Amino acid sequence: MNRRRFVASAAGAGLATLSGPWGVAAAATDDDFAFAYFGLSAEYLLADFYGKAIEAKKIDREHLNTLKTGRTYARQHAKSLTDLLVGGGTDAPTAQDFDFQWPKAVFADGAKALETGETILGTLQGVYQTAAATSTEPTFRVLFASLASASAQQVGLLRAIAGRPEAEPFPVALDLEAASDAIDSYLG
Amino acid sequence: MARRSRAAVFAIVVVVAAALAGAAKPQSDQLTIYAAASLTDVFPALDSSQRYSFAGSNALETQIRNGAPADIFASASPVNTQRLFAAGLVDKPVTFTANRLALIVPKDNPADIHTVYDLKRKPVKLVIAGAAVPVGGYTRTVLKKMGLTSVLAKVVSQETDVRAVAGKVALGQADAGFVYVTDARSVADRVTVIKIPAWAQPRVRYEIAIVSKSSKKAAAQAWIKNLLSKKGQAVLKQFGFLPLPPA
Repeated sequence: MNRRRFVASAAGAGLATLSGPWGVAAAATDDDFAFAYFGLSAEYLLADFYGKAIEAKKIDREHLNTLKTGRTYARQHAKSLTDLLVGGGTDAPTAQDFDFQWPKAVFADGAKALETGETILGTLQGVYQTAAATSTEPTFRVLFASLASASAQQVGLLRAIAGRPEAEPFPVALDLEAASDAIDSYLG
Repeated sequence: MARRSRAAVFAIVVVVAAALAGAAKPQSDQLTIYAAASLTDVFPALDSSQRYSFAGSNALETQIRNGAPADIFASASPVNTQRLFAAGLVDKPVTFTANRLALIVPKDNPADIHTVYDLKRKPVKLVIAGAAVPVGGYTRTVLKKMGLTSVLAKVVSQETDVRAVAGKVALGQADAGFVYVTDARSVADRVTVIKIPAWAQPRVRYEIAIVSKSSKKAAAQAWIKNLLSKKGQAVLKQFGFLPLPPA
Protein backbone atom coordinates (compact mmCIF):
# COMPACT_ATOMS: atom_id res chain seq x y z
CA MET A 1 0.00 0.00 0.00
CA ASN A 2 1.52 3.33 -0.98
CA ARG A 3 1.37 6.36 1.29
CA ARG A 4 -1.48 8.04 -0.56
CA ARG A 5 -3.75 4.98 -0.32
CA PHE A 6 -2.75 4.42 3.29
CA VAL A 7 -3.64 7.97 4.23
CA ALA A 8 -6.93 7.67 2.38
CA SER A 9 -8.05 4.71 4.44
CA ALA A 10 -9.91 5.03 7.70
CA ALA A 11 -7.29 2.85 9.37
CA GLY A 12 -4.69 5.28 8.13
CA ALA A 13 -6.51 8.14 9.79
CA GLY A 14 -6.41 6.42 13.15
CA LEU A 15 -2.78 5.45 12.87
CA ALA A 16 -1.78 8.81 11.51
CA THR A 17 -3.11 10.60 14.54
CA LEU A 18 -1.90 8.06 17.04
CA SER A 19 1.61 7.61 15.74
CA GLY A 20 2.29 11.16 14.64
CA PRO A 21 1.50 13.15 11.51
CA TRP A 22 3.70 13.49 8.47
CA GLY A 23 4.86 17.02 7.86
CA VAL A 24 1.67 18.47 9.32
CA ALA A 25 3.23 21.68 10.57
CA ALA A 26 4.44 22.60 7.11
CA ALA A 27 1.27 21.83 5.18
CA ALA A 28 -1.68 22.54 7.46
CA THR A 29 -3.42 25.88 7.08
CA ASP A 30 -4.86 28.28 9.62
CA ASP A 31 -8.31 26.90 8.83
CA ASP A 32 -7.19 23.30 9.39
CA PHE A 33 -6.03 24.18 12.88
CA ALA A 34 -9.16 26.22 13.56
CA PHE A 35 -11.42 23.27 12.69
CA ALA A 36 -9.30 21.01 14.89
CA TYR A 37 -9.46 23.46 17.84
CA PHE A 38 -13.21 23.77 17.55
CA GLY A 39 -13.68 20.02 17.14
CA LEU A 40 -11.53 19.27 20.17
CA SER A 41 -13.46 21.71 22.37
CA ALA A 42 -16.80 20.32 21.19
CA GLU A 43 -15.69 16.72 21.74
CA TYR A 44 -14.82 17.60 25.36
CA LEU A 45 -18.28 19.15 25.63
CA LEU A 46 -19.87 16.04 24.15
CA ALA A 47 -18.04 13.73 26.57
CA ASP A 48 -19.25 15.91 29.44
CA PHE A 49 -22.78 15.81 28.03
CA TYR A 50 -22.80 12.01 27.92
CA GLY A 51 -21.44 11.84 31.47
CA LYS A 52 -24.13 14.17 32.78
CA ALA A 53 -26.87 12.32 30.84
CA ILE A 54 -25.71 9.01 32.34
CA GLU A 55 -25.69 10.49 35.87
CA ALA A 56 -29.12 12.08 35.43
CA LYS A 57 -30.74 8.69 34.63
CA LYS A 58 -33.57 10.31 32.66
CA ILE A 59 -32.93 8.27 29.53
CA ASP A 60 -34.20 4.69 29.56
CA ARG A 61 -31.73 2.29 31.08
CA GLU A 62 -31.77 0.10 27.96
CA HIS A 63 -29.90 2.92 26.16
CA LEU A 64 -27.18 3.26 28.78
CA ASN A 65 -24.63 1.46 26.62
CA THR A 66 -25.30 3.85 23.74
CA LEU A 67 -24.51 6.79 26.02
CA LYS A 68 -21.42 5.14 27.46
CA THR A 69 -20.14 4.26 23.99
CA GLY A 70 -20.80 7.82 22.85
CA ARG A 71 -18.73 9.14 25.74
CA THR A 72 -15.89 6.75 24.93
CA TYR A 73 -15.91 7.79 21.28
CA ALA A 74 -15.93 11.50 22.19
CA ARG A 75 -12.86 10.94 24.36
CA GLN A 76 -11.15 9.01 21.58
CA HIS A 77 -11.93 11.78 19.11
CA ALA A 78 -10.53 14.35 21.54
CA LYS A 79 -7.35 12.29 21.85
CA SER A 80 -6.95 12.10 18.07
CA LEU A 81 -7.47 15.84 17.66
CA THR A 82 -5.05 16.57 20.49
CA ASP A 83 -2.42 14.40 18.80
CA LEU A 84 -3.08 16.20 15.53
CA LEU A 85 -2.64 19.65 17.09
CA VAL A 86 0.38 18.74 19.16
CA GLY A 87 1.90 16.97 16.16
CA GLY A 88 1.34 20.18 14.23
CA GLY A 89 3.44 22.06 16.75
CA THR A 90 0.65 23.82 18.64
CA ASP A 91 -0.76 23.60 22.15
CA ALA A 92 -4.01 21.75 22.68
CA PRO A 93 -6.52 22.65 25.38
CA THR A 94 -7.60 20.07 27.94
CA ALA A 95 -11.13 19.46 29.25
CA GLN A 96 -10.09 21.28 32.46
CA ASP A 97 -9.70 24.48 30.46
CA PHE A 98 -13.48 24.66 30.10
CA ASP A 99 -16.20 25.49 32.56
CA PHE A 100 -19.14 23.84 30.79
CA GLN A 101 -22.46 25.58 31.33
CA TRP A 102 -25.55 23.41 31.22
CA PRO A 103 -28.97 24.95 31.74
CA LYS A 104 -30.71 23.05 34.57
CA ALA A 105 -33.50 21.93 32.30
CA VAL A 106 -31.17 20.03 29.96
CA PHE A 107 -30.84 16.95 32.13
CA ALA A 108 -34.17 17.24 33.91
CA ASP A 109 -35.90 15.10 31.33
CA GLY A 110 -34.73 12.60 28.75
CA ALA A 111 -36.26 14.28 25.71
CA LYS A 112 -34.53 17.60 26.42
CA ALA A 113 -31.22 15.84 27.04
CA LEU A 114 -31.48 13.94 23.75
CA GLU A 115 -32.32 17.15 21.90
CA THR A 116 -29.25 18.87 23.37
CA GLY A 117 -27.02 15.91 22.49
CA GLU A 118 -28.35 16.01 18.96
CA THR A 119 -27.56 19.75 18.73
CA ILE A 120 -23.95 19.18 19.76
CA LEU A 121 -23.49 16.17 17.50
CA GLY A 122 -25.23 17.87 14.56
CA THR A 123 -22.95 20.87 14.99
CA LEU A 124 -19.89 18.65 15.08
CA GLN A 125 -21.04 16.70 12.05
CA GLY A 126 -21.69 19.90 10.10
CA VAL A 127 -18.35 21.48 10.92
CA TYR A 128 -16.39 18.26 10.27
CA GLN A 129 -18.10 18.05 6.83
CA THR A 130 -16.87 21.54 5.98
CA ALA A 131 -13.44 20.76 7.38
CA ALA A 132 -13.15 17.58 5.31
CA ALA A 133 -14.28 19.42 2.20
CA THR A 134 -11.85 22.32 2.57
CA SER A 135 -8.71 20.90 4.16
CA THR A 136 -5.80 20.42 1.82
CA GLU A 137 -3.67 18.54 4.33
CA PRO A 138 -4.35 14.76 3.99
CA THR A 139 -3.81 13.95 7.67
CA PHE A 140 -6.37 16.54 8.72
CA ARG A 141 -8.79 15.81 5.88
CA VAL A 142 -8.99 12.07 6.48
CA LEU A 143 -9.53 12.50 10.20
CA PHE A 144 -12.20 15.18 9.69
CA ALA A 145 -14.07 12.90 7.26
CA SER A 146 -13.91 10.03 9.73
CA LEU A 147 -15.16 12.25 12.55
CA ALA A 148 -18.04 13.56 10.39
CA SER A 149 -19.11 10.00 9.73
CA ALA A 150 -18.85 9.00 13.41
CA SER A 151 -20.85 12.08 14.47
CA ALA A 152 -23.57 11.27 11.93
CA GLN A 153 -23.85 7.73 13.30
CA GLN A 154 -24.23 9.06 16.83
CA VAL A 155 -26.84 11.60 15.74
CA GLY A 156 -28.79 8.69 14.27
CA LEU A 157 -28.55 6.71 17.50
CA LEU A 158 -29.82 9.61 19.64
CA ARG A 159 -32.67 10.23 17.20
CA ALA A 160 -33.63 6.58 17.35
CA ILE A 161 -33.80 6.75 21.15
CA ALA A 162 -35.94 9.88 20.91
CA GLY A 163 -38.24 8.21 18.38
CA ARG A 164 -37.38 10.67 15.61
CA PRO A 165 -36.38 9.87 12.00
CA GLU A 166 -32.83 8.57 12.18
CA ALA A 167 -31.43 9.71 8.86
CA GLU A 168 -31.54 12.68 6.52
CA PRO A 169 -30.49 12.82 2.87
CA PHE A 170 -28.17 15.83 3.01
CA PRO A 171 -26.92 16.81 6.48
CA VAL A 172 -26.09 20.51 6.53
CA ALA A 173 -22.44 21.59 6.47
CA LEU A 174 -21.55 24.44 8.85
CA ASP A 175 -18.82 27.02 8.83
CA LEU A 176 -16.96 27.72 12.06
CA GLU A 177 -18.86 30.88 12.85
CA ALA A 178 -22.27 29.18 12.67
CA ALA A 179 -20.99 26.16 14.57
CA SER A 180 -19.52 28.39 17.25
CA ASP A 181 -22.81 30.26 17.63
CA ALA A 182 -24.67 26.96 18.02
CA ILE A 183 -22.80 25.60 21.03
CA ASP A 184 -20.52 28.27 22.51
CA SER A 185 -22.96 29.04 25.32
CA TYR A 186 -22.41 25.48 26.63
CA LEU A 187 -18.62 25.88 26.48
CA GLY A 188 -18.61 28.60 29.13
CA MET B 1 8.45 74.28 86.36
CA ALA B 2 10.78 74.51 83.35
CA ARG B 3 11.47 70.78 83.71
CA ARG B 4 7.69 70.14 83.72
CA SER B 5 7.25 72.23 80.53
CA ARG B 6 10.02 70.39 78.75
CA ALA B 7 8.44 67.09 79.75
CA ALA B 8 5.08 68.23 78.43
CA VAL B 9 6.56 69.36 75.12
CA PHE B 10 8.43 66.07 74.81
CA ALA B 11 5.20 64.15 75.47
CA ILE B 12 3.37 66.13 72.77
CA VAL B 13 6.18 65.49 70.28
CA VAL B 14 6.05 61.77 71.03
CA VAL B 15 2.26 61.68 70.59
CA VAL B 16 2.39 63.61 67.29
CA ALA B 17 5.21 61.42 65.99
CA ALA B 18 3.28 58.31 66.93
CA ALA B 19 0.18 59.66 65.19
CA LEU B 20 2.14 60.44 62.03
CA ALA B 21 3.68 56.99 62.05
CA GLY B 22 0.22 55.46 62.23
CA ALA B 23 -1.12 57.55 59.36
CA ALA B 24 1.38 56.35 56.77
CA LYS B 25 3.24 53.07 56.53
CA PRO B 26 6.94 53.65 57.27
CA GLN B 27 8.98 53.49 54.08
CA SER B 28 10.97 50.56 55.44
CA ASP B 29 7.84 48.37 55.69
CA GLN B 30 6.49 49.22 52.27
CA LEU B 31 6.76 46.55 49.59
CA THR B 32 7.64 47.40 46.01
CA ILE B 33 5.35 45.35 43.80
CA TYR B 34 5.93 45.05 40.06
CA ALA B 35 2.70 43.95 38.44
CA ALA B 36 1.16 43.42 35.02
CA ALA B 37 -0.70 46.45 33.67
CA SER B 38 -3.98 44.52 33.80
CA LEU B 39 -3.69 44.51 37.62
CA THR B 40 -3.62 48.32 37.79
CA ASP B 41 -7.06 48.65 39.36
CA VAL B 42 -7.29 45.54 41.48
CA PHE B 43 -4.02 45.53 43.42
CA PRO B 44 -4.40 49.01 44.97
CA ALA B 45 -8.00 48.09 45.79
CA LEU B 46 -6.70 45.07 47.66
CA ASP B 47 -3.97 47.01 49.48
CA SER B 48 -3.36 50.70 48.87
CA SER B 49 -0.41 50.96 51.24
CA GLN B 50 2.22 49.40 48.97
CA ARG B 51 4.31 50.93 46.19
CA TYR B 52 3.25 49.60 42.77
CA SER B 53 4.82 49.69 39.36
CA PHE B 54 2.49 48.58 36.55
CA ALA B 55 3.64 47.79 33.01
CA GLY B 56 3.76 45.00 30.47
CA SER B 57 5.01 41.84 32.19
CA ASN B 58 7.83 41.50 29.67
CA ALA B 59 9.10 45.01 30.49
CA LEU B 60 8.94 44.29 34.23
CA GLU B 61 10.81 41.02 33.71
CA THR B 62 13.58 42.94 31.96
CA GLN B 63 13.73 45.49 34.78
CA ILE B 64 14.07 42.74 37.39
CA ARG B 65 16.81 41.10 35.32
CA ASN B 66 18.57 44.45 35.36
CA GLY B 67 18.41 44.60 39.14
CA ALA B 68 15.35 46.77 39.74
CA PRO B 69 14.54 46.85 43.48
CA ALA B 70 11.25 44.94 43.43
CA ASP B 71 10.04 42.70 46.24
CA ILE B 72 7.23 40.96 44.34
CA PHE B 73 6.58 40.30 40.65
CA ALA B 74 3.05 39.54 39.42
CA SER B 75 2.93 38.55 35.76
CA ALA B 76 0.04 38.07 33.32
CA SER B 77 1.83 35.04 31.93
CA PRO B 78 3.77 32.20 33.52
CA VAL B 79 6.39 32.65 30.80
CA ASN B 80 7.87 35.75 32.46
CA THR B 81 7.91 34.44 36.03
CA GLN B 82 9.18 31.01 35.02
CA ARG B 83 12.06 32.54 33.05
CA LEU B 84 13.09 34.57 36.08
CA PHE B 85 12.70 31.51 38.31
CA ALA B 86 14.94 29.48 35.99
CA ALA B 87 17.53 32.27 36.23
CA GLY B 88 17.35 32.25 40.03
CA LEU B 89 16.00 35.78 40.14
CA VAL B 90 12.66 34.98 41.80
CA ASP B 91 11.45 32.30 44.23
CA LYS B 92 9.07 29.60 43.04
CA PRO B 93 6.06 31.32 41.39
CA VAL B 94 2.46 30.46 42.23
CA THR B 95 -0.67 30.89 40.09
CA PHE B 96 -3.11 33.33 41.65
CA THR B 97 -5.81 34.07 39.08
CA ALA B 98 -6.93 33.71 35.47
CA ASN B 99 -8.46 35.93 32.83
CA ARG B 100 -10.12 35.93 29.42
CA LEU B 101 -9.73 37.96 26.29
CA ALA B 102 -12.35 40.13 24.61
CA LEU B 103 -12.51 42.28 21.50
CA ILE B 104 -13.48 45.89 22.12
CA VAL B 105 -14.72 48.49 19.66
CA PRO B 106 -15.52 52.18 20.23
CA LYS B 107 -19.14 52.87 21.20
CA ASP B 108 -19.85 54.48 17.82
CA ASN B 109 -18.29 51.43 16.12
CA PRO B 110 -17.16 53.14 12.87
CA ALA B 111 -15.96 49.91 11.28
CA ASP B 112 -19.26 48.13 12.03
CA ILE B 113 -17.63 45.22 13.86
CA HIS B 114 -20.02 42.85 15.63
CA THR B 115 -18.13 39.54 15.78
CA VAL B 116 -14.47 38.59 15.73
CA TYR B 117 -15.04 37.21 12.22
CA ASP B 118 -15.95 40.72 11.04
CA LEU B 119 -12.25 41.60 11.43
CA LYS B 120 -11.59 39.43 8.38
CA ARG B 121 -14.59 40.60 6.36
CA LYS B 122 -14.35 44.35 6.80
CA PRO B 123 -11.68 47.06 6.47
CA VAL B 124 -10.55 47.80 10.00
CA LYS B 125 -7.81 49.56 11.94
CA LEU B 126 -6.83 46.99 14.54
CA VAL B 127 -4.66 47.66 17.59
CA ILE B 128 -3.04 44.87 19.59
CA ALA B 129 -0.14 44.52 22.02
CA GLY B 130 3.33 43.50 20.85
CA ALA B 131 4.12 39.80 20.59
CA ALA B 132 6.39 39.85 23.67
CA VAL B 133 3.66 41.32 25.87
CA PRO B 134 1.47 38.56 27.39
CA VAL B 135 -1.79 39.97 26.01
CA GLY B 136 -0.13 40.29 22.61
CA GLY B 137 0.82 36.62 22.68
CA TYR B 138 -2.66 35.63 23.81
CA THR B 139 -4.18 37.71 21.00
CA ARG B 140 -2.16 35.83 18.42
CA THR B 141 -3.27 32.53 20.00
CA VAL B 142 -6.93 33.55 19.63
CA LEU B 143 -6.42 34.50 16.00
CA LYS B 144 -4.61 31.23 15.27
CA LYS B 145 -7.33 29.17 16.96
CA MET B 146 -10.02 30.92 14.95
CA GLY B 147 -8.14 30.71 11.66
CA LEU B 148 -7.86 34.49 11.51
CA THR B 149 -4.12 35.21 11.50
CA SER B 150 -4.61 37.07 8.21
CA VAL B 151 -6.17 39.97 10.17
CA LEU B 152 -2.72 40.71 11.62
CA ALA B 153 -2.20 42.54 8.31
CA LYS B 154 -4.78 45.06 9.54
CA VAL B 155 -2.85 45.96 12.69
CA VAL B 156 -2.04 49.67 12.70
CA SER B 157 -0.31 49.79 16.07
CA GLN B 158 1.35 47.39 18.52
CA GLU B 159 1.27 48.63 22.09
CA THR B 160 3.53 47.99 25.06
CA ASP B 161 0.75 46.91 27.42
CA VAL B 162 -2.95 46.13 27.53
CA ARG B 163 -3.93 49.48 29.03
CA ALA B 164 -2.50 51.24 25.99
CA VAL B 165 -4.59 49.03 23.68
CA ALA B 166 -7.76 49.76 25.69
CA GLY B 167 -6.94 53.48 25.70
CA LYS B 168 -6.50 53.71 21.94
CA VAL B 169 -9.82 52.01 21.25
CA ALA B 170 -11.61 54.06 23.91
CA LEU B 171 -10.27 57.25 22.32
CA GLY B 172 -11.40 56.15 18.87
CA GLN B 173 -7.84 55.97 17.53
CA ALA B 174 -8.50 52.39 16.40
CA ASP B 175 -11.58 50.48 15.25
CA ALA B 176 -10.98 47.43 17.42
CA GLY B 177 -8.52 45.94 19.89
CA PHE B 178 -7.91 42.79 21.90
CA VAL B 179 -7.77 43.22 25.68
CA TYR B 180 -8.51 41.24 28.82
CA VAL B 181 -12.15 41.33 29.90
CA THR B 182 -10.98 43.05 33.08
CA ASP B 183 -9.48 45.93 31.09
CA ALA B 184 -12.60 46.20 28.97
CA ARG B 185 -14.43 46.99 32.22
CA SER B 186 -12.10 49.90 32.91
CA VAL B 187 -13.26 51.63 29.69
CA ALA B 188 -16.79 50.23 29.67
CA ASP B 189 -18.43 53.63 29.21
CA ARG B 190 -16.56 54.21 25.94
CA VAL B 191 -16.40 50.79 24.28
CA THR B 192 -18.58 47.85 23.33
CA VAL B 193 -17.32 44.42 24.29
CA ILE B 194 -17.50 41.58 21.78
CA LYS B 195 -17.17 38.09 23.20
CA ILE B 196 -14.50 35.74 21.98
CA PRO B 197 -15.82 32.16 21.77
CA ALA B 198 -14.86 29.96 24.72
CA TRP B 199 -13.25 27.38 22.43
CA ALA B 200 -10.87 30.03 21.07
CA GLN B 201 -9.82 31.46 24.42
CA PRO B 202 -6.17 31.13 25.37
CA ARG B 203 -5.12 29.77 28.75
CA VAL B 204 -4.48 33.06 30.59
CA ARG B 205 -2.81 32.38 33.92
CA TYR B 206 -1.30 34.95 36.28
CA GLU B 207 1.69 34.04 38.42
CA ILE B 208 3.29 35.82 41.34
CA ALA B 209 6.72 35.38 42.90
CA ILE B 210 8.98 36.96 45.50
CA VAL B 211 12.08 38.53 44.00
CA SER B 212 15.12 36.62 45.27
CA LYS B 213 17.05 39.75 46.26
CA SER B 214 14.17 41.19 48.30
CA SER B 215 15.08 42.13 51.85
CA LYS B 216 11.41 41.94 52.90
CA LYS B 217 10.63 38.32 52.19
CA ALA B 218 8.45 37.76 55.25
CA ALA B 219 6.28 40.76 54.39
CA ALA B 220 6.17 39.69 50.75
CA GLN B 221 5.06 36.19 51.73
CA ALA B 222 2.32 37.65 53.92
CA TRP B 223 1.16 39.85 51.05
CA ILE B 224 0.95 36.90 48.65
CA LYS B 225 -0.84 34.85 51.31
CA ASN B 226 -3.42 37.63 51.56
CA LEU B 227 -3.80 37.66 47.76
CA LEU B 228 -4.44 33.92 47.73
CA SER B 229 -6.86 34.10 50.66
CA LYS B 230 -10.64 34.10 50.30
CA LYS B 231 -10.62 37.87 50.79
CA GLY B 232 -7.97 38.40 48.12
CA GLN B 233 -9.72 36.12 45.66
CA ALA B 234 -13.02 37.90 46.31
CA VAL B 235 -11.45 41.25 45.39
CA LEU B 236 -10.04 39.76 42.19
CA LYS B 237 -13.46 38.34 41.33
CA GLN B 238 -15.04 41.73 41.99
CA PHE B 239 -12.79 43.17 39.28
CA GLY B 240 -13.73 40.45 36.80
CA PHE B 241 -10.82 38.07 37.23
CA LEU B 242 -11.51 34.33 37.22
CA PRO B 243 -11.08 32.01 40.18
CA LEU B 244 -7.89 30.10 40.79
CA PRO B 245 -7.78 27.49 38.01
CA PRO B 246 -7.30 23.80 38.85
CA ALA B 247 -3.63 22.87 39.11
